[in-house]
Amino acid sequence: MIELENVTKVYSNGVKALDDVSFQIGKGEFVFIVGNSGSGKTTLFKLLIKEIEATQGKIFVDGINITQLSHRKIPKLRRHMGVVFQDFRLLTDISVYENVAFALKVVEASSRKIKRSVPMVLSMVGLADKTKMKPTELSGGEQQRTALARAIVNNPPILLADEPTGNLDPKTSWEIMKLLQEINLRGTTVVVVTHDKEVVNAMKKRVVTLKDGKVVRDVQKGDYGHED
Amino acid sequence: MFKNRLMSVASISTISACLLVVGIFFAVAVNVEHMLGEIENRIGLAVFFNQEVEEEKILEIKTALEAKPEVHKVEYVSAAQAWENFKEEYFRGREDLLVGFDDDNPLEDSASLQIFMNDISMQKQLVGSIGALPEVRYVRQAEQVTSVIESFNSLVAYTSLGMTAILVMVSIFLISNTVRLAISIRKKEIKIMRYVGAKNSLITAPFLFEGILIGVVGSLIPMLLIYLAYDQATERLHAQFLILREYLVFLPVWTVLQTLVPLSLFIGVLIGLVGSQWTIHKYLKA
Repeated sequence: MIELENVTKVYSNGVKALDDVSFQIGKGEFVFIVGNSGSGKTTLFKLLIKEIEATQGKIFVDGINITQLSHRKIPKLRRHMGVVFQDFRLLTDISVYENVAFALKVVEASSRKIKRSVPMVLSMVGLADKTKMKPTELSGGEQQRTALARAIVNNPPILLADEPTGNLDPKTSWEIMKLLQEINLRGTTVVVVTHDKEVVNAMKKRVVTLKDGKVVRDVQKGDYGHED
Repeated sequence: MFKNRLMSVASISTISACLLVVGIFFAVAVNVEHMLGEIENRIGLAVFFNQEVEEEKILEIKTALEAKPEVHKVEYVSAAQAWENFKEEYFRGREDLLVGFDDDNPLEDSASLQIFMNDISMQKQLVGSIGALPEVRYVRQAEQVTSVIESFNSLVAYTSLGMTAILVMVSIFLISNTVRLAISIRKKEIKIMRYVGAKNSLITAPFLFEGILIGVVGSLIPMLLIYLAYDQATERLHAQFLILREYLVFLPVWTVLQTLVPLSLFIGVLIGLVGSQWTIHKYLKA
């Protein structure tokens, strides 16, 4: 589903964020990508959503080499993957419902589909009774649920999350993780970039550890590993 | 749309100012053109011949001149006719003063060809070639009048062109700023649209639309102003230059607007398109 082949990223200021990284993520997997700040995990995330370009190497998503994808085809790639961020990135002047519907509207979904899908996904993330509220009236966990709902409302085969629990307390973090697991169980490939040790240890999923831009560890049903 | 009202107003005003200049100069230019056409039919050349040249020869020359494309028409005025005209013009009502002349024609040598031009810019050249004919004694022309009108017309054209160019650039710059501001206001929304896979066209369309809308509004305002002010302005000019009344033949406002409105819309939309497109490319690279 996702395949990195000798991916290197050097920023224009000379910093080498990723150094010859190769690994694969299979369809339906749940993978944590962990590492300290500066390890290159956020760079990896940005490469996967093609927000930045790899300096060297190839990245395949569904068999397509996205490093050679023209700018015009990026929207098609992005419709293939839902994204969730640490800071939620919701539109604060419209309601929860409208935030989720927004994702469908911009991909030109029919209003029938919007009316059907949005309440469904909102009840799945447990926000059925808060659809009319503005994101600013919600707790952090609820905002992240809204962001999750927005990310999966298009039924993308891949869900990418960048520090999804970074702004949340442990209890709420755990709820979000359970939700991610639930989404994963429905067949979606889930990739979570995080440095939240407790969450990683509790989930017992595959863990890919980055350090100084290199993959230093890749274990199934693993834990966060040793901090050094 | 128009969340940044002040910038929008500034952009619209600049385009309006720009196209008002274009409009006014255009209105002046087409009217001058029109008047020139009218005047060209009145101003002509008068070709006088040497004494011994016979009427037959003159008529021969007349036929040759008529064949030239720049010549509108040629009239032959015989010596007798010239005298009649002269008497009519200067001694009307005082025919008693003419008694002494009896049947003498003091304008015996004044047989002439009156040439009316199609294209006044060719006049000088024509005068040269006619003047070179051995039979021709003298060519009288209203060259000064025509050259003044002509240079006035080109002055109008160049000035308007220069001012338009400057104002077009200012307009593009201002629209670009307006669109940039609009983009920055919606930066977050745009980013989210990107993440969920919105097509580029969907993201850029509103900004293009804003640019074009500014262009359209900015181009229609000066048209309205010209429409409202045109009749009054032409009447004023008539009143100011009573002497020139005969020459000041203005086109009706609708004739002017017929060409001006599409022209203005075209320039306005173009400015809007260029200004917004440029900014979108600069700030919304995929």
